[in-house]
Amino acid sequence: MRSPSADASDALHARVRRAIEDGLDAAGFDALALDLARFQATHVAPIARLVRARGVDLDRATGAEAIPAVPTDVFRLARVAAHPPEKDVRVFRTSGTTSGARGEHALRTTATYEAAALAWGGPHLFADLRPRRAVVLAPRASDLLESSLSFMIDLFIDHLGIEASFHVDTERGALDVDTLEDACARARAASEPVLLLGTSFAFVWAIDATHADLRLSAGSRAMITGGLKGRTRTVEEPQLRAALADRFALAPGHVIGEYGMTEMSSQLYEPRRVPGAVRPDLYRAPPWVRVVAVDPITLAPVAPGAAGIARIVDLANVDSAVALQTADRVRVTPEGIELLGRLPGATPRGCSLAIEEMREP
Amino acid sequence: MSERPRAGAAAGAAEGRRARVRCVVAATARIADPGDVLGREARSRLPAASGLSPEGVELALATALERRVTEPQLDRLLAWAGDAEVAWVVASANVCTAAARSIALAAATSCDVRVCPSRRDPVVAELVIAALAEDVAYAAAGGRAQLVPALAARAGDQVHAYGSDATMDAIEAALDPGVTLRRHGTGLGVALVAGSDPIEGAADAIACDVSAFDQRGCLSPRVVVVEGDRGRTTALARALDAALSRWGRLVPRGPLDAALAGELARWIATQEALGEVVTRPSHAVAVHDAPTSLAIAPAVRAVLVVAAEDIARVAVLAPLARWIAAFGRDDPGAEAARAIHALAPGARASRLGSMQRPPLDGPVERRESSSVRGAPRADAGGRC
Repeated sequence: MRSPSADASDALHARVRRAIEDGLDAAGFDALALDLARFQATHVAPIARLVRARGVDLDRATGAEAIPAVPTDVFRLARVAAHPPEKDVRVFRTSGTTSGARGEHALRTTATYEAAALAWGGPHLFADLRPRRAVVLAPRASDLLESSLSFMIDLFIDHLGIEASFHVDTERGALDVDTLEDACARARAASEPVLLLGTSFAFVWAIDATHADLRLSAGSRAMITGGLKGRTRTVEEPQLRAALADRFALAPGHVIGEYGMTEMSSQLYEPRRVPGAVRPDLYRAPPWVRVVAVDPITLAPVAPGAAGIARIVDLANVDSAVALQTADRVRVTPEGIELLGRLPGATPRGCSLAIEEMREP
Repeated sequence: MSERPRAGAAAGAAEGRRARVRCVVAATARIADPGDVLGREARSRLPAASGLSPEGVELALATALERRVTEPQLDRLLAWAGDAEVAWVVASANVCTAAARSIALAAATSCDVRVCPSRRDPVVAELVIAALAEDVAYAAAGGRAQLVPALAARAGDQVHAYGSDATMDAIEAALDPGVTLRRHGTGLGVALVAGSDPIEGAADAIACDVSAFDQRGCLSPRVVVVEGDRGRTTALARALDAALSRWGRLVPRGPLDAALAGELARWIATQEALGEVVTRPSHAVAVHDAPTSLAIAPAVRAVLVVAAEDIARVAVLAPLARWIAAFGRDDPGAEAARAIHALAPGARASRLGSMQRPPLDGPVERRESSSVRGAPRADAGGRC
């Protein structure tokens, strides 16, 4: 027998997928965000506590800014899900931390995640490209069920119906440089543009494999994403981007940044291959995601164009937390979102355990 | 016959060590004394250098500085010390008085003490060295002590380093072979309120431990475990909130920098989603009933109170075990006390309210992670 919360969740998923497909205006965004927040405040214990603690009346709220944002740390300290664990179809996990706790994002269905990933990843990654093959520097999703990045990569490959080769040995936790070099050589020989996908750690391994010829055919492109401190996916450094372009013979505009995190169901991209993009170096959020820079201390929105930490409302987070508070620094402008890296922890003072130390993987 | 001079030399060396440690204690007593020129200078400089309020500085100088040492404590300290050509001290900044004990331990280890003070807070190290320079008894005991800008240890020396684990690793990687490193790395304190402890008294004592040094030290309690049901945990949290408010009026917290204030804001938001949290201008107290993992508070007089309704709940501390440097409890026989001790056997155990005042019988804590790298020599006799 289905529970009322499952019915309500299904209805919300359907509304969100319609919004992803058809688009929505600001008022529609706010209305849907608040309906999601009301559902989550009823069925997700940490959100119920947060709403109570902040004294928020979601029934009278008129905009998404009223929704208390769940700090991403909460995902490693408590279950953030509207459904019981036995209804999980997928649990994405963050990388480990020194304290042993890993963030978990439990999904009751992947349908909305898939819709969001394809609807925004498509135009940014392969709208103008007909790749015949993908070279993947990440584990297969079947080998690493908890990786949201691997899940998304598999989704893209299935969607495109292309051949893919995988070059990270999950058991050894290392890059297989020989098979990677072979895959690059075959793509070069066929003069076929390649979609290069992977984690930043694996890209670093590839860059370090200086003896290998990894040049790809003209028109190839790479999606670059994070993998820094304690997070599966986060902002990456410009140096890696440059080295990647050099190592794989990619045009600079063909290295496309992606920003995502385990706790989100949607992604942001640099519009480097999107015609007419004013600032291709700034990230774009899809219409169903709203990013606001907030003050790190007051958590209130900063002045337009000022730097702050990202508060993200992701409508595709139906069964978890629609509003997230990250520690990632951003500057939000009409042209796009500038990623400024993770907020540094407080300066460690001597022997006292710093919070940031516990988050280090 | 040939043994006698060596035995005599060893005895003399031991007495020299005792004398040098006593001189360091005398120096710290001067710093603690508001009427002494060194005490006045400490009170003048430390608020800016340490980030503590003037009242916080006074509390630290009056209660945490090692102003006396008993003979049995001295015996234990000397047994710990070993012997070295030069004893180097790499001091840390978070506990403004910590340099005094560090120098005492170094003086027990070698006639030749060289101190790299914290760049942020060099005050107490400078004052102790200045006092020793004026002390004829210290010179008579063969002691030489100086401030140095950088570590330059050689084989046969000991380095007593204090700071984060990352700092310890960096120092260890840079040392020459034959240098002994005594690591005193990252840590935190845990307090236990046992089922038999009176709530109000325990809360007052823990508030004292938290308020000292604004909770910045590795002995400062950041987590309080409460034996008993939810009602008892909530009662302790309320009493601790009230006690910290009283402490906040008497000894205001020093100013927070933006990074710490931001960490506190995000920790509070996290706690709001996990349990209950009370936030005051001077402190914050959060309560969890049944945590599966702990979000440790930033060191700004912020405390996480967790319930241990049954002993299995103590296991939530396990991921923190290697960092637990201090354990405060009034009932060592309580079931939870035994469980926490088993998790963190190297933690310095103290009564509640005394966590910041361990006797001068060696380093403040003795975890394995804060142990020796290299082989310290046994006492080889006097070479001063």
